[in-house]
Amino acid sequence: MAAESFARWLRENAQHHLVVAAQDRIAKKYRAARPRRPHGFEEQVWRRAFAPVYRAVPWSLRSRVLRAMPGSHRQHWTSWTEPPRRRDPAV
Amino acid sequence: MPHKTLVIGGGAAGIGAAGGVKAADPANTVVVYTDFEDVGYSPCGIPYVHGKEIDSFERLFLAQKEAYVQAGIDIHYEKHVESIDVERKRVTVQGEGEVAWDRLVIATGFDYADPGVPGGGLEGLYYVKNIRRAMEWDKVLDTAKTAVVVHATPLGVEMTTALAQRGLETHLVDPQPWALADIVDPDIIAPVQESWLELGAHLHFNTTLEAFRGERTVSSVATSDGELPADIAVVCTHKRPNISLAAQAGLMVGPTGGLVVDERMATTVADVYAAGDCAELPHGVTRLGVQGLTGSHAYAQGKVAGFNAGGGTKRYQPVYVPWGTPAGKWVIGGASFGETTATALGIPFMVGQAEGISRARYYPGVKKVKIKLLAEPVQRRLIGAQMVGQEGIKERADFLATAVKFGLTLDDLAAMENVYSPAIGALNEPIVLAAQNGLESVPHGR
Repeated sequence: MAAESFARWLRENAQHHLVVAAQDRIAKKYRAARPRRPHGFEEQVWRRAFAPVYRAVPWSLRSRVLRAMPGSHRQHWTSWTEPPRRRDPAV
Repeated sequence: MPHKTLVIGGGAAGIGAAGGVKAADPANTVVVYTDFEDVGYSPCGIPYVHGKEIDSFERLFLAQKEAYVQAGIDIHYEKHVESIDVERKRVTVQGEGEVAWDRLVIATGFDYADPGVPGGGLEGLYYVKNIRRAMEWDKVLDTAKTAVVVHATPLGVEMTTALAQRGLETHLVDPQPWALADIVDPDIIAPVQESWLELGAHLHFNTTLEAFRGERTVSSVATSDGELPADIAVVCTHKRPNISLAAQAGLMVGPTGGLVVDERMATTVADVYAAGDCAELPHGVTRLGVQGLTGSHAYAQGKVAGFNAGGGTKRYQPVYVPWGTPAGKWVIGGASFGETTATALGIPFMVGQAEGISRARYYPGVKKVKIKLLAEPVQRRLIGAQMVGQEGIKERADFLATAVKFGLTLDDLAAMENVYSPAIGALNEPIVLAAQNGLESVPHGR
């Protein structure tokens, strides 16, 4: 249960702050309104430390760590072992 | 051998499950428990009745109660399930006591996140969920002059559009920099926000909700952007999976807060299934859990859960999430995810985008369609798409979700054939233009 709770806490916080950091980058690209600056120590840590470190890790490694977390994706899904594929013509 | 299956919840997933149980074996017994007075209606249609595009709430019902009786589905209305005992295969139902089951489907849906500010107990706070309450709130809207919509979630977007169209002074309050900012890119939502302003709505982004104020009934909403007048406040906070009953029974909860399921929609406890907004599903591209999808996802998951609970064998699949909604004077949509989500996850991607038209340029009613395609940069396989237009968005979203699922590349889409008929399709399909533009950004020889 502790692992479940931690995974939920991590996902909720990491997702929120990574999305805000992403909004900032995308807003600059499209010259849109940017998110408000981080307030307080906790937001500063997530936005100014966690988000850049997360980005610096290659996706191949990061995705392995993310997929190692508990959740429905760790259950049996045939599509993982037999991914959808294009087939030869039917006739 | 026929089973007795209990379904907790009478929304899209619950009713889908009940039908699935019967489809697996008509001799099965299926009993549905719902907290509410009705089942089998489209709650997603409620904003459109409030916006006067649908003339009555009755039109949202898919079937009369008698139809479920005839289908052999025993629905217990306004019966709250208090607890689940997975060891003894019993539930405790308010007013009925212990009820035994062979298989259980949990389809308990969602709750709105608590806004977490003072004044949450005031009257005049509208949480859009139950059709009977929506009928009562619609009468309130007849006399209301001002409304504050709290948070630009998908429901918030629909309610802002509906209330502005209805002529209320409508304020939309959201802590993020643009509407739907955790899923939709700013270039896609920009025309929607302009159209809300044209409809007279007031937009308060990067704005924090501070309190609901009033004597007994809300009369204003305090925000970091000042105090806003409110005869009614429509609370459209994020949806949280309603899993307290299941969690107490020991079912595993995933990192999204939804119940962990496999492709049979089976939970981590034998003979217990889950479907809809209370379940967590894997995303087909990222292979990470997602939660809180659409009504069509919930219904399809319910059918699978019910069919398997009833003794059959069906598989659900990872999701590629085609989505779309009218918003302001536009329709937005997409598949999988956009630039904001891909950037947040740190997934490498390239973009191809184009602005095209929905019909021949000379044909009356022709509309602009902006398409943005995201592809992984090595093989150029499509990983997501977003778009804004006024017609054909839903069909393109469905197609693009399938294109992502089957690994089509920008090269495939750039050479795609398309329907050309002046009244329904332009010579150049916007998806093709977007893919071609994406390829033009690739150095030759790659």
